[in-house]
Amino acid sequence: MTTDQSTVSGPLTGVRVLELSNQLGQWCGKLMADFGADVIKIEPPTGAAERQVGPFYADVEDPNRSLYFWHYNTSKKSVTLDLDQPEGRDLFRRLARTADVVLETMPPGTLDAMGLGYESLAAENPGLIVCSLTDFGQSGPWVGYQMTDMLHLAAGGQMAACGYDEVDDPERRPIAPGGGNGYHMGAHYAYIATMAALYHRSVTGQGQHLDVSAHESAALTTEMHIPNWIYTNVVVQRQTGRHAGARPSAPSQIPTGDGRYVNMGGGLSSSFRAFVEVMAESGQAGDLQDLKYLDPDVMQENTDHIRNQIAQFVKTVPAETSYVAAQEIAGMPWGIVRAPDELLDDEHFRERGFFIDVEHPELGQTFTYPGAAAVFTATPQQIYRRAPLLGEDTAEVLGAVGIDASRLEQLRASGVV
Amino acid sequence: MTRPLEGLRVVDFTWVRAGPWAARWLAILGADVIKVEWPDPAIGGSTGRVVRNVPGMGSTPDGVPRSMNSDGHFNDMHAMKRSVTMNLRSARGLELAKKLIAQADIVIENFSAGVLKSWGLSFPEMQAIKPDIIYVSMAGFGHTGPRAHFQTMGPSVQALSGLTYISGIPGKPPAGWGWSYMDDTGGMYGAIGALTALQHRTRTGEGQHVDLSQVAAGMTLLGPALLDLTANGRGSRREGFPPGDRAVWPGTPKVHNYRGPIAAPHNTYRTLGGGHNDWVGIVCQTDAQWQALKHAMGDPAWADARFDTLDGRLDHQDEMDQQIQAWVEGFEKYALTDRLQSAGVPAMAVQSNEDRVEHDPQLRARGMYDPASHPILGSWPMQHAPWTMSGTPTPVDRGAPICGEHNVEILCGMLGVSETELREGYADNTFWPKSVPLESYLLEALEAEQVR
Repeated sequence: MTTDQSTVSGPLTGVRVLELSNQLGQWCGKLMADFGADVIKIEPPTGAAERQVGPFYADVEDPNRSLYFWHYNTSKKSVTLDLDQPEGRDLFRRLARTADVVLETMPPGTLDAMGLGYESLAAENPGLIVCSLTDFGQSGPWVGYQMTDMLHLAAGGQMAACGYDEVDDPERRPIAPGGGNGYHMGAHYAYIATMAALYHRSVTGQGQHLDVSAHESAALTTEMHIPNWIYTNVVVQRQTGRHAGARPSAPSQIPTGDGRYVNMGGGLSSSFRAFVEVMAESGQAGDLQDLKYLDPDVMQENTDHIRNQIAQFVKTVPAETSYVAAQEIAGMPWGIVRAPDELLDDEHFRERGFFIDVEHPELGQTFTYPGAAAVFTATPQQIYRRAPLLGEDTAEVLGAVGIDASRLEQLRASGVV
Repeated sequence: MTRPLEGLRVVDFTWVRAGPWAARWLAILGADVIKVEWPDPAIGGSTGRVVRNVPGMGSTPDGVPRSMNSDGHFNDMHAMKRSVTMNLRSARGLELAKKLIAQADIVIENFSAGVLKSWGLSFPEMQAIKPDIIYVSMAGFGHTGPRAHFQTMGPSVQALSGLTYISGIPGKPPAGWGWSYMDDTGGMYGAIGALTALQHRTRTGEGQHVDLSQVAAGMTLLGPALLDLTANGRGSRREGFPPGDRAVWPGTPKVHNYRGPIAAPHNTYRTLGGGHNDWVGIVCQTDAQWQALKHAMGDPAWADARFDTLDGRLDHQDEMDQQIQAWVEGFEKYALTDRLQSAGVPAMAVQSNEDRVEHDPQLRARGMYDPASHPILGSWPMQHAPWTMSGTPTPVDRGAPICGEHNVEILCGMLGVSETELREGYADNTFWPKSVPLESYLLEALEAEQVR
């Protein structure tokens, strides 16, 4: 199964990326690949460590069956190279001559020690952009620290902001949200920096070295919390299912009649009165039809009372009922708290082509994947191919830089590929 | 030295948070980002300035008179941009906006679907003005589909995309996200969309509409959970999920929970002081790391052979966590972080917003909060980029513009408005809302220009 680059028509068509990356950088590389870049994942002959991370297809552990790897490595090619051997390093150098971008996540100094650092690679390819995405960047007192997804969420301020009211958790422990977002944040910034450097290169021909810090990326990802401290010396406190704040605020995540939750979104606007008419149909409007609430000042003063009354109604009806009424009738930015299970039935996103069926020919199966954040009207983001099998593209990619079949056999025998 | 996006111009119609955050990064990267504002409180503060000016909500520092130019959060969020005021619901304002778009590369906005179209600025209308324009819209549900008219804020985006659900402790309501994570990350996707489309334009000369949905952006972040459902039939409404801070919740099946390798210990523990943020995270992903932790704890008797394997540690997770907790609470969180990391154990202090600014030696060493100046607020720490670019440095060396700060240079200098027209427009609701007292600096700038 190959990806024919001549048929690729994404916005990054023609950009070649060497990805030498662990779980810090695979999401950045996936975005590039799904946008049409030719992303070549360089893996050790034993496979990238992410192939060992579950869940696995049918719960059978195998380097080619990690769903975690599948998601983060679509549209990429896989080439195995042992960079501990001189021939492996030489082949990497050869590939780097053909690349526009090297995306790497090795501990600082590792590539330099191998003779594959930015200066060395750029000497042979001045337009090359090397994006080094690491836990802390290339310098600083914490550079040697070992990190994980959760520890990034601890350092970055996410955990300090996520948790519970005392009534839900007397310990009020900090909670690390799931889903690998400790790594997503750095990947997004690395992607942006790389695109900007590519634009600069298109104007000047000059490549450069980008030193991107996952920790700094996470530290940037708490909305107004840093300005809150800088300008007003406020330390925010965790609350159940809503913004952490300086002072306790009213609950906005409300249980529904069908055992789910609705999030009542931002502030209260005068449009709530349209929603009250819906409540009135079942006699649950309380005093909210009182004309005094037409006065914006009275409404503001009674915000908690109004929200509590609305919450009492929300508790009695299915989530979909109150959510759709809030949106359709009152234009209020509510949302149902959906489990991932409920996303697949979403007609809106089905119609936008969000879900993509991806063929896994070696399994004789096709699986549904999440697709693109945005619809690009001219050059859509796509999944060109399922994640590569380990070393699937080694022969093709190395063949293009002069490694013929017999040489490849020798390299395989000596464990270089 | 130049910045990487120097020479590009962005027309910034964004408001609230996700849109401004996207445009912020384009500005820091060197694009000329022109924030088009209309500071009329009656339309909900389309600039973000008025919204943030509600007493108790904003972040005007003590000692600074509260005004539309005094908010600290705004200063950080709109750093490095230029500001022009014009009434887009007036014929003249719309005409000038079109002139501005004719000189731009990217238009970015995060209104509800249909708002720009209602102004007369649909994508085809923009293309008629500037054929290779890149238009990035950032509506919650995008601009197409049966629910395109639904409205969102960060918390509802997180709820609808599944992100809220995957944060919490079994048997409790979702903990969710204690801020608008998807305003930050939605902003990332706005910038990603703009720069990706730019790459295509550089190669082919073709612009396009990037129709971002912030809910969809959130859904892309749940890949392994969705694949577990579509490939394995394993849903997320299951026992022990989400697993709090654990990799696996004690007593539940040892399945992966989409946060990386299964590990134990994998938790947070209360540290000395017992304050709201006196916690440390500790993770052992290998048996060697467990041995290192055990040794760091002084090889206590309880840490016997039962804990030597990952399976054993998972089987006795509650006991293990209680014992680790009893040891941890004797240490200050940073001292313990250093001690454990030196011993080869992955560990990290839970950091508050105060901690990151005041106590994080890494961020300080990297200059993360170096100050920059603002015309009214003066010099304040700014949030800098998380990258260092060897060829094109991108320091945040300027705060947000004050409202209309660049009116003379943009309206008169770029768009052909005469100084007389500008003066009249300040009075007739074209360049300043009639309902808002005119800021004196606007007239002063105009007079300075006339003198010059």
